Amino acid sequence: MFLNRSEGLALALPAALFTFLVFLMPVGILLSVAFQTDTGAWSLQGYIDFFSQPLNQTVFFRTLKLGILVAGTSAVIGYLAAFCIVNLPTTSRGRIFGLVVLPLMISPVARTYAWIVILGRTGIVNDVIVGLGLSDTPIRLLFTETAVFIGLLQLFLPLMIISLVSSMENIPKDVVPAARVLGASWFQVFFRVILPLTKEGLVIGGTLVFTGALTAYITPAILGGSKVLMLETLLYQKVNVSNDFVSASVIAMILIVMCFSANLVLKRIASVKR
Amino acid sequence: MSRLTIWIILGATLTFLIGPFLIVIFAGMSAGEALAFPPQGLSLKWYAKVFTVESFQASFALSMFLAVFGTIAALLIGIPAAYALNRYDLPGSETIRTIVAAPIIVPGIIVGLALLRYFVVPLNVTITMALFVTHTALVLPYAVRVVSSSLNNLRADMEEAAVILGCTRLQAFTKVVLPNIRGGILAAFILGFVTSFNEVPASLFLSGPGVRTLPIDMLSYMEITFDPSVAALSALLAFMSVAIVFIAERLLGFSRYV
Repeated sequence: MFLNRSEGLALALPAALFTFLVFLMPVGILLSVAFQTDTGAWSLQGYIDFFSQPLNQTVFFRTLKLGILVAGTSAVIGYLAAFCIVNLPTTSRGRIFGLVVLPLMISPVARTYAWIVILGRTGIVNDVIVGLGLSDTPIRLLFTETAVFIGLLQLFLPLMIISLVSSMENIPKDVVPAARVLGASWFQVFFRVILPLTKEGLVIGGTLVFTGALTAYITPAILGGSKVLMLETLLYQKVNVSNDFVSASVIAMILIVMCFSANLVLKRIASVKR
Repeated sequence: MSRLTIWIILGATLTFLIGPFLIVIFAGMSAGEALAFPPQGLSLKWYAKVFTVESFQASFALSMFLAVFGTIAALLIGIPAAYALNRYDLPGSETIRTIVAAPIIVPGIIVGLALLRYFVVPLNVTITMALFVTHTALVLPYAVRVVSSSLNNLRADMEEAAVILGCTRLQAFTKVVLPNIRGGILAAFILGFVTSFNEVPASLFLSGPGVRTLPIDMLSYMEITFDPSVAALSALLAFMSVAIVFIAERLLGFSRYV
């Protein structure tokens, strides 16, 4: 530890100043827009106007709902997958874990594009449906909430699995067999043993997936289009289609508040549940 | 759980995560004109066509430029910051950490809009410059975090020893610290490169006519055209990212740093 503080500050300053000037200040100004009227007075009118429109309400609740659904589903699949991964022999564990991480390196555009091939009018699913005679014409699968849900789940599931695997690796090997020998059902093993020991990983993974799903742009843009708007795509429309910067500022604030409160709530849950 | 159950669960999960991507690779190999799976006959013509599309060439060059130089710029200001946060007892070090980490927390689309309205337009910054600044800011948190963790593993008394033995502080940094955190810096570079190259939301508002990053160019291309070239390009880009990370893992155990 060096004691020359001004030297240390001089080293850290460029990065801090840069982030502050080109990042925090512009974002701060953007967030303040919705709190001011045209005359410059402070008011909440921008928020009242925003939430009085049914479309905006629908989009807000849809975003929240999809965020929760994606986080919840990825927790269920994540626990199953992570439990299997930590019970593998060491060599295959590394390989499987690598395959789980692999999608994170691939561009989200490419990963989301795959679902067009699968769910599109001439996609695989529709080929099967029409081929089996379940429907005469292709069904609309793209531009539905389900499509956005599937796309988001595939995008963020690896983050949940990674967090859960790293916290499960810290559980001593014989804890689960011990609980089973002593007569606990799998249900009890999960809620009384595994869950309490991995709640930190669940909270980290849950926060990453939930905030990721809320703030994803590409997936709702490609798979939802203007039929299934989420807050991010709505923001883009407000700016590029209707030039409505007050609404854009409101949405920006909502997204930031949702992300931060998700962090806080999940942290609280983790420290209360024993 | 039996071995069979384990492999069924893992097989299903991996099929969901990676399967769609294999489909994209094959859809790009189609000999037909429209996107379909299974492809109508096999050919590599779409993979070849990707290289001849002019807008892809331009946006690929821009994305490469941003990923390489944006990350280098982030490292140039990020390494000193990481060093200062690790080795000095700074007043307000928590504040500095929070400020520098902020670009990860705030959703990209908000960053793009804020920069466009309150940085690019008032200061009359060019699109390329605006994208460069944005990508630097977005990569900076990763640079600071990865370099920090590799500085953490390097004992500070080694530098002190170097200074006692007659090095200046700068020499102690270049001769003792830098060679020891080389792996961490390279890992930060790769992580920054991949992050910047795949970035969309923040660049969305900043991209103008003719000046687009590659992922955004792909997005607008697939709105107009429904041929397999985006599938082919997606597959090529994925191979590039995976190859970079794979080589990095082999050479320096990349995952230790991330």
